[in-house]
Amino acid sequence: MISAVENIQPNRTSAPTRGGAIRIDDVVKIYDPEGAAVLAVDHCSLDIAAGEICMIVGPSGCGKTTLLNAIAGFHDITSGSIHMDGEMLCGPGKPMAEPGSDRIVVFQNGALFPWRTNLENVIFGPVMQGTLSKAEAIDKARGMMADAGLNDVEYNYPGEISSGVRRRVEIVRALMNDPKVLLFDEPYRALDSLTKSVMHEALLEIYYRNPVTIFFITHDLEEALFVGHRVVIMTTRPCKPKKVLDVDIPHPRDYGVLTSKRFRELMEETVDAVHEEALKAFDRGEKEG
Amino acid sequence: MSNVKGFQEYAEEARLNEELVTLLKESMPFHVISDRLLERIAAIARRVSYDPGEVIYHGGEPSDDIFIVVSGRIEHALVQGVASSTPIRTMERGDVFGWAALLKDRPGRLAKTTSLSASEVLRVDAHKLVEILDTDPTTADTVMSRFATMITKDFAVSEDRAQVAPQRKGSRVAARGGGNGGGGGQQTISGISLTMFRFAQWLRSPRPYLMFIGFSILIGFWFFAVEVWKLPRFREMPGLTEVWREWLSTDPIYGLSIYVPEYYTHIWVSIRRVLIAFALATGLGVPLGLFLGWSLKFKEYVFPVFETLRPIPVLAWVPLSILMFTGLETPVIFLTFLASFYATALNTMLGVQSIDESYSRAAYCLGANHRQVFRHIVIPGAMPFIFTGLQISIGVAWFSLVAAEMVSGQYGLGYVINTSYTMVRYPTIVIGMVTLGIIGYATSAMVRLMGDHLMQWRVRELALGEQS
Ligand SMILES: Nc1ncnc2c1ncn2[C@@H]1O[C@H](COP(=O)(O)OP(=O)(O)OP(=O)(O)O)[C@@H](O)[C@H]1O
Ligand SMILES: [Mg+2]
Repeated sequence: MISAVENIQPNRTSAPTRGGAIRIDDVVKIYDPEGAAVLAVDHCSLDIAAGEICMIVGPSGCGKTTLLNAIAGFHDITSGSIHMDGEMLCGPGKPMAEPGSDRIVVFQNGALFPWRTNLENVIFGPVMQGTLSKAEAIDKARGMMADAGLNDVEYNYPGEISSGVRRRVEIVRALMNDPKVLLFDEPYRALDSLTKSVMHEALLEIYYRNPVTIFFITHDLEEALFVGHRVVIMTTRPCKPKKVLDVDIPHPRDYGVLTSKRFRELMEETVDAVHEEALKAFDRGEKEG
Repeated sequence: MSNVKGFQEYAEEARLNEELVTLLKESMPFHVISDRLLERIAAIARRVSYDPGEVIYHGGEPSDDIFIVVSGRIEHALVQGVASSTPIRTMERGDVFGWAALLKDRPGRLAKTTSLSASEVLRVDAHKLVEILDTDPTTADTVMSRFATMITKDFAVSEDRAQVAPQRKGSRVAARGGGNGGGGGQQTISGISLTMFRFAQWLRSPRPYLMFIGFSILIGFWFFAVEVWKLPRFREMPGLTEVWREWLSTDPIYGLSIYVPEYYTHIWVSIRRVLIAFALATGLGVPLGLFLGWSLKFKEYVFPVFETLRPIPVLAWVPLSILMFTGLETPVIFLTFLASFYATALNTMLGVQSIDESYSRAAYCLGANHRQVFRHIVIPGAMPFIFTGLQISIGVAWFSLVAAEMVSGQYGLGYVINTSYTMVRYPTIVIGMVTLGIIGYATSAMVRLMGDHLMQWRVRELALGEQS
């Protein structure tokens, strides 16, 4: 839609990345509530390059969030290991990763603190860590919010703005900390398709400016193909990669690619693979319940 | 001579150019561009005048220029099928329109624009504009992303506007007219104006009139039942006029009216007891509740004890409290404190438990440590529940106070009611009761106001919910 933006800076994608390669190695996660073991992730291995947008799709309840939580450090893994830039986050002897500002999660239902204005939300990270003084953080936040077109909601509370705008504020809040990895857990699930399409372009815009590694869970295949460098299709529970698709459409992308031939071919390929897994999940659901 | 004229022409041109730069500086999103670039943009801009009623362009026409209004008013009407919350807008000095020219493969014009008055606009060729911006990629990037936001704001994302609109009617205009100078002032509604707004809203609703009717029915029933119909069970009751006269009398028959200093002593003693008990209950109950909610281990120690003591009614504590505490004052305060404390602690605990886990997770992600999460997530997150607890707490404080004062004490409204009964001063009973009602209401309103003050975010959320 706004290609003039790209014409001006064609070389933006080549900006250097700042690390953030994730290596998921043979991870197993068994939930064990009252002895009824649920195998959520089964020997899952996946390599994500620094600065890559890796889209994860898979049937509901297959264990995608579980994997994301393991990377973020919200819970432990049963076996296997996860490394970032060669450093072990969790693995043998250290079942749970430390949550930290190098890997920031953007939550499914949004987690802007409703009691802080958007600006106060955005400065939260650096102020808590003590990396910036409050005044410096406000300066930086203002700049980043202006770049994302958010300067007129600075003094609003999250409850006063639409969910689409909230997501953008949340992403800016994450980027304030110069993270290496952004972990998205279906952040756009609740949005209508119009807002969503705007959000995708806004996300790519932000990404071109800050090429961090992105681990992005979604149910929306079009979203996956439009945004991602790679799409990883997960099997039904227990979760492991079933098929990995390289989306060989060059970045920067705009909504034009949706109608391209290549996009439709990739879409077909994805739909087939996902449908197969969905059927399995459905069958099992019928049997179990 | 011709030399001089040339100079004048040159000077005039420079002045015009400067004027254009000033204008561009007031226009979103040109205001972020450096003067040097603005001068170059001003140089390619063409000044064009339009008569009233003259159409500047029709929908669907090829788009090449973008426009900045210099003077006059221009109507901007979107063509059918373009979604927007404001299909028709009026553009004034400093407003920018016609940005279809900046879009990819230049779609036709999306609107029809008509000059409403004699007006003047700047036309800037979009191609040349992009070329100029190209020379400074950083600025260009900002300008273009601003444009992008402005465009999406105007067309696609109407949800955004629909939600925020009620409180911010003026803000768009302000933002457009004054650049972004005002910071957040224009959108931030202060607590006072919000209170006024809600009060006006309240007056317009049927609620105050229903409230008035409610009170009238109660008072009317009292009046008629006692004084007019003289219903059997009401024969001993003090009547409305009797109570009213006694209350306002400079020389009350039974010794208590608004002119008697003792009346205020009773009120003051009761208020002081409630305030002390309430402060203690809050000071101990909130921290206890916070820790109960925060630490599972602490809860396992303390909560069972807490839950066993809680159902014991205040009156059952009377004998022990008299044995435990010396003097007349402390037992009364202790009894008043007890129920408030339970209410506060319990609600605070529930408040902590109600906080969405993703808030604390997000805080840890953003690098906060445990103490910071407690301070910045747990406490504010539990705040709405804490204040619900405090509302209940102040209510039960009055409730228990009267019970305690009836049992022991020398002063206080509960004491007044009780002794007036034994000494057959019936109107005084009612005076005590009504006074209690009014003061009790006032204190709980104060707690509510304090909550509103501390939780602006919540007030605003609720206000939005009420309007939409
Ligand atoms: N704390 C838990 N205790 C026990 N079982 C759990 C727990 N969390 C998740 N599970 C189970 O693990 C499986 C995977 O859950 P997960 O939330 O990772 O799925 P998901 O792929 O993110 O699903 P969705 O697409 O619906 O978000 C599910 O069957 C779920 O019931
Ligand atoms: Mg999930």
